Amino acid sequence: MSYSASRLRTLSITLIGCLIVAGCAASAKNSVFFGKSDPPRENILRYVSGSEPETIDPQIPNLQNEARICLALYEGLAEYDPKTSEAIPALAERWEVNKDSSEFVFYLRHDGRFSNGDPITARDFVYTIRRGLTPATGSRTASFAYPIKYAQAFNEGDVFVFDPATNAFLLEKDFAEGNSQTSAPVPLSSLPIKSIADEYPASAEGKVPAADTAFHQLMHSPARLVLPKSEKDRKKILDASPKLNAAIAGKQFVPVKASDVGVEAIDDYTLRISLSQPAPYFIGMMPHQFFRVLHQKTIEKFGAAWTDAANIVTSGPFKLESWQHYDRIVVTRDPMYWDARNVKLDKIIFYLLAENTTMMSLYKAGELDATYNHTVPSAWLDVIGPLKDFMDAPEAAIDYYNFNTAKGPTADVRVRKALNMSLDKKALADWRHVKPLTAMTPDGIFPGYPQPKGDPFDSEKAKRLLADAGYHDASGKFDPKKLEATEIELITNPDGSNIPYAEFVQAQWKQNLGVTIQIRIMESKTLFKALAALDYKGVSRTGYGADYMDPYTFLSIFYTPTGSNSTGWWDPKYVALLDEANRTIDHQRRYQLLAQAEQLLLDAQPVIPLVVGTTRLMKKPYLKGFYPNPTTLNPWKFVYIERDQAKWDYGMPVMSEPPAVAGG
Amino acid sequence: MLRFIIRRVIVIVPMLFIIVSLTWALVLLAPGNFYSGEKKLAPAVEKNLREKYGLDKPWYVQYGKVLKNIARFDFGNSLKYEGQSVNQILMRGLPVSVALGITAYLIALLAGVTMGTLAALKPNSLLDYASMALAMLGISIPNFVLGPLLVLLFSLTLFWFPPALWSGFPSKSLVLPALTLSAIYIAYIARLTRSGMLEVMRSDYIRTARAKGLSERQVVTRHALRGGLLPVVSFSGPALAFLITGTVVVERIFALPGLGNYFINACFNRDEPLIIGIVAFIAVSVLVFNLLVDISYAFIDPRIRY
Repeated sequence: MSYSASRLRTLSITLIGCLIVAGCAASAKNSVFFGKSDPPRENILRYVSGSEPETIDPQIPNLQNEARICLALYEGLAEYDPKTSEAIPALAERWEVNKDSSEFVFYLRHDGRFSNGDPITARDFVYTIRRGLTPATGSRTASFAYPIKYAQAFNEGDVFVFDPATNAFLLEKDFAEGNSQTSAPVPLSSLPIKSIADEYPASAEGKVPAADTAFHQLMHSPARLVLPKSEKDRKKILDASPKLNAAIAGKQFVPVKASDVGVEAIDDYTLRISLSQPAPYFIGMMPHQFFRVLHQKTIEKFGAAWTDAANIVTSGPFKLESWQHYDRIVVTRDPMYWDARNVKLDKIIFYLLAENTTMMSLYKAGELDATYNHTVPSAWLDVIGPLKDFMDAPEAAIDYYNFNTAKGPTADVRVRKALNMSLDKKALADWRHVKPLTAMTPDGIFPGYPQPKGDPFDSEKAKRLLADAGYHDASGKFDPKKLEATEIELITNPDGSNIPYAEFVQAQWKQNLGVTIQIRIMESKTLFKALAALDYKGVSRTGYGADYMDPYTFLSIFYTPTGSNSTGWWDPKYVALLDEANRTIDHQRRYQLLAQAEQLLLDAQPVIPLVVGTTRLMKKPYLKGFYPNPTTLNPWKFVYIERDQAKWDYGMPVMSEPPAVAGG
Repeated sequence: MLRFIIRRVIVIVPMLFIIVSLTWALVLLAPGNFYSGEKKLAPAVEKNLREKYGLDKPWYVQYGKVLKNIARFDFGNSLKYEGQSVNQILMRGLPVSVALGITAYLIALLAGVTMGTLAALKPNSLLDYASMALAMLGISIPNFVLGPLLVLLFSLTLFWFPPALWSGFPSKSLVLPALTLSAIYIAYIARLTRSGMLEVMRSDYIRTARAKGLSERQVVTRHALRGGLLPVVSFSGPALAFLITGTVVVERIFALPGLGNYFINACFNRDEPLIIGIVAFIAVSVLVFNLLVDISYAFIDPRIRY
């Protein structure tokens, strides 16, 4: 290379360097906020919703990028509290819960209307729930409605067994095998009704509970026996139980129908939902998009095309104006909405993009008013962290590692305990500016919950445990080589900060135990498949976000041996404790039982709790009514643009104040 | 000539068949599904989904359906995007990618040919080194670095252009993505032009042209460019195809609703019909553009006959 060419190269490198410095200097000038912070001229919120939604049919998808939009377009019986994410009244003005939380009566407001002006009645909710459970709908979240009586059976396409001789259905209780369920008291919703007033706690205003009906009586009869429809699956169950096999001879199989599901419109504005099991957390699920009310005629008329802008009828504070695919969705305030005068934004533009750096650029340039959770890249925290428009609050979400308890060295509880104990989670949390997760539920998200604590950091004890488990040399001292020889590994997907976390954990084990555990990186969908099949050696990474605001959302991961439980650990005692907790009427007693179950889980250590999620989002100071809440889902009707600078947020908005319930 | 074209068009069919089959097999082999996520679905929910989308059928039935769809140029419905057909999505993404691709193409041709010609006219001068150094930079800086750098300078410091988002064609929002996309092509074209021109400038017919007493400008524009641009032409055909279809990274950085953005998401989503649709479309465009380039040779270079 000649002299001049090399000089040019130096020059151009310098030029790029200058560019970067110039950029940084520009951001350093506005030391209080990140980039421009002038409010937009119109009352239009510009937000990002994530990647292109699969559909804006609220019952089909299960991710937040769709939820953010569905929250604007549809409303349910209850809405998320903008600060705490707990259920607050929406289309239901109030509700009553029976004494063991197995039946709920919702009283609807009389002025609820769809975007085409049709009134919203209890019948629309009955339709919505049945439709979501219909197998052909293909809802990813249908299992949310499984606590409702016969909902799961209907969604699975199961059958009842009818005996023509006695003109009655076979009952579940007659065939219950000797498991923990048999000793449990029967929920009120499956017992004959003596007096409806007895089943509900006395109301202060002396209101009379909703009327009894034939359907209600039917729901309150003992639960019917449910069998799979497919002959192959049924045979498996029948083969396992000779008693059952004998009983079904000469009986008819009757498919479970939509009308068997325990939802009932008592009148136009009263909705009753009967559950198969007590579920005190059920109210917390009501704001979920699965339960947001849909317009029957539109769906029946247009089929899958009902969500097209030309056809769609919605129920929320905003209605669809346009959907430019992969670009933006625009919603405008719906004048038909019952509380339209309290909806402050004229429009919301949801940009359909999911690239964090792009979002941050748009935000900085003043083209976005806020971003969603985890959009601030970890590497930027040093710059963004001190700014007044950076919102970092704990989320109802956890990061943890699974152990494969079915095979390999981690089948031994001592190894699991040791690997957990030798990890300094406080150091991890300090390094990533997050809160350590000490149990299976995030700390401080559920007020009053007596959360148990996992084992503290103690690498000496960890070494002793590992030596006890057989990984020792001739003198009986822990020998790292022996553990390494088992080919134990840590698998993770590369998304977000997962790799730095894994490297930190790896370094901790090396430093505190002397063990080198290999990290294997897998693309997300490949990892999920390996997790579901328990196809990994040792340790794997998972995260979980709350579906509703109750500790049970996290504890229920281990209610079944399958599903999101990727550890192979399952204990009937744990399930019995959870069941008992959910039957318990006293709130504090229920929390204690849940905490007992959580302690049992921590003792068995099928997981390594790592950290509590944090919101890590940006919000312009003039944007009000928008909070970094635990679910990071914002009900849009409360959001507005504040033009008076004196009322702006210089820092995190106050989260503890009672919520502003619009129109209430 | 006609026979040549017909032969090439016929070859497209088996090529497409192989490409589609390979893609289909790769999607089939990839673990996970369009619905699989961190939270596992309830077994019944998963079963209902598989039935709804025909995933419960044996592989040869699914494969047969794919082939039948391709034969009718109808790629079926997207799995991920409820109620949207792949053809609809293609037609929606294509104009954006074409607008972006052609803008970048024009920038690349204009800047590349100018830089290359200037460099070739005064070889080993400062101008030559400067343009070739710039070209080298264009080749070595990947566009996922160049894009954010341009955003940093032009949108976050100078506030001249928006940092992302699509606002139609033509618009200011197209400038940065097109510039980012064209950088590497400017570089290639500049280098190709330079070497092509250097070679031509030394050839006999240029000497003849000069001997005729033509001005240097006429020599360059009338005679030298025609021959000197031949390598550029053969490069620019496929380049146009790649510019239109290979906008994946740029569309993602600048959040543009084009084919590239759809494609990358389709892969992450395991959206089989959409992946196959886009791959088939890209394959056909590359094959057709190559054919067009071969045909155009005959017009540019009188020495080539089919």
